[in-house]
Amino acid sequence: MTDTLTRRRSTEEIARSRPAWQRRLTSDRAARLTFYVVAFLFWIALAGLFERIPGPPSVVDSLVEEFRRGEVFGNFADTFYRFGIGVALSVGVGILVGVVIGLSPMARAFLESPVLVGLSIPAIMWAFLTVMWFGFGHTSPIVTTFLTAVPFVILNVAQGVQGVSRDLRDMSSSYGVPLGRRVRELVLPAVAGYVVAGLRFAVIMGWNGVLLAEWFGGSGGAGYRARFWYDANQFAGFAAWVVLFVGVIIILDQLLLERLSRRMFRWRDATH
Amino acid sequence: MAVLTVNDLCKTFGAGTARSNRVLDHISFDVRGQTFVSVVGPSGCGKSTLLNIISGVETHTSGDVSVTSDEGRPARLGYVFQDPRLLPWRTVRKNMLYVQDKDDDQARRRVSTYLDMVGLGQHGDFFPGQLSGGMQQRVGIARAFAVEPDLLIMDEPFSHLDAITARGLRAQLQDIWAQSRKTVVFVTHDVVEAVELSDRIIVLQPGGRIFEDIPIDLPRPRRQSDPAVATLQAEVLARLEKMKAITPQAATAV
Repeated sequence: MTDTLTRRRSTEEIARSRPAWQRRLTSDRAARLTFYVVAFLFWIALAGLFERIPGPPSVVDSLVEEFRRGEVFGNFADTFYRFGIGVALSVGVGILVGVVIGLSPMARAFLESPVLVGLSIPAIMWAFLTVMWFGFGHTSPIVTTFLTAVPFVILNVAQGVQGVSRDLRDMSSSYGVPLGRRVRELVLPAVAGYVVAGLRFAVIMGWNGVLLAEWFGGSGGAGYRARFWYDANQFAGFAAWVVLFVGVIIILDQLLLERLSRRMFRWRDATH
Repeated sequence: MAVLTVNDLCKTFGAGTARSNRVLDHISFDVRGQTFVSVVGPSGCGKSTLLNIISGVETHTSGDVSVTSDEGRPARLGYVFQDPRLLPWRTVRKNMLYVQDKDDDQARRRVSTYLDMVGLGQHGDFFPGQLSGGMQQRVGIARAFAVEPDLLIMDEPFSHLDAITARGLRAQLQDIWAQSRKTVVFVTHDVVEAVELSDRIIVLQPGGRIFEDIPIDLPRPRRQSDPAVATLQAEVLARLEKMKAITPQAATAV
């Protein structure tokens, strides 16, 4: 008896064998969209079951009302100002310290413990502490954002730097490539994936931090406005701001970070 | 004038420990300017370690190594590795500029010249992953020549390539070398390759000592089909056989 191997199909053949609607339905975009639809339906179901959970219509009403009062743009402008400075600082400092820790065993020995301590302190603790230290105003949310996000960036970047190819480092040192150029052209592109992962953490953790600091610091901003509705026992108003927080994070992640990631890995796409 | 001086060089890995391993044992030799010297020997005799010490990637245990430039500036080195060692996220041209002193017009002209010489003038904007292994190695060779080195070191640069590609690259290397006359130290375990390319062959034996220093006085360009080349290759191989007979470690290593 002769065994025959199953005939292998080419990628073109596989693509042709599935209709376009089926390909669209099983795409990444469809999976993402499906999640949002399921989450929305789940919310409607919960609102129907529990009286204290506001449903979409009342939340939308509250949102429209907030826009009409002019509260949304002003408060978000404040929050973005603080968040932007905090994240930018955490990314800059995080990359710098991460590279130093990754390159120098002495720096690693010196800074590893403080970074781990930083990772273990929750954003809410930083929010309390910074409000006590700096009072109400911009400083407290900025410092909270920075302190919440920076350990994640440092850890990611340091891990990436330690993984840079030994062969490429030896090549660079045999040609006497200056340290600055080595960091710029070898180390940073090699750790780009880790930087993007660190940046993603910084955005998510920083957003968390800035909202908490505004919640407790009470000097305007999205977190402050959410607390206003919470204190007023108006759950629809509170939920409207939660929807805005989530919306902003999704937009930042999908539009900004996803595109940044694609741009940084152009060279990898070019080789396939 | 000697471009490279190696004097009483020793290298011991794990020196002072129970597992210390001496790979280079009191080695001394000079390499004069514009000569092509090959270092041959069985696996594990310290050839690559010697190159790494010369390039500064590895530190030596004792002795002296110096590379000098006759142009009154710090000596420049070019290094061609067994594998191309290119930055995958930089184009071919940017990979070559990465190791230049400055990214100026002169450097860009040099990069273009050597890319043309290795037949890759049209591939400057390609990423390394878009090139074949042989083409990537040609970029590695062009990169090393383009720094205008006082000393060019090459560590078995054709060992990972198929026979036909390696043969083509050897011929190309001879042509480029004939034009540039750079001082080269070339490590290989292939005696045939060494005779075809070199002015002189240093034979290392296991344990890291120099077994023999053989001058190759043949006209260039050389081709393997040339009877004089074939005769000398046979002679060098016979001497290596003699080394195997004298040093029992070599018999197992070659």
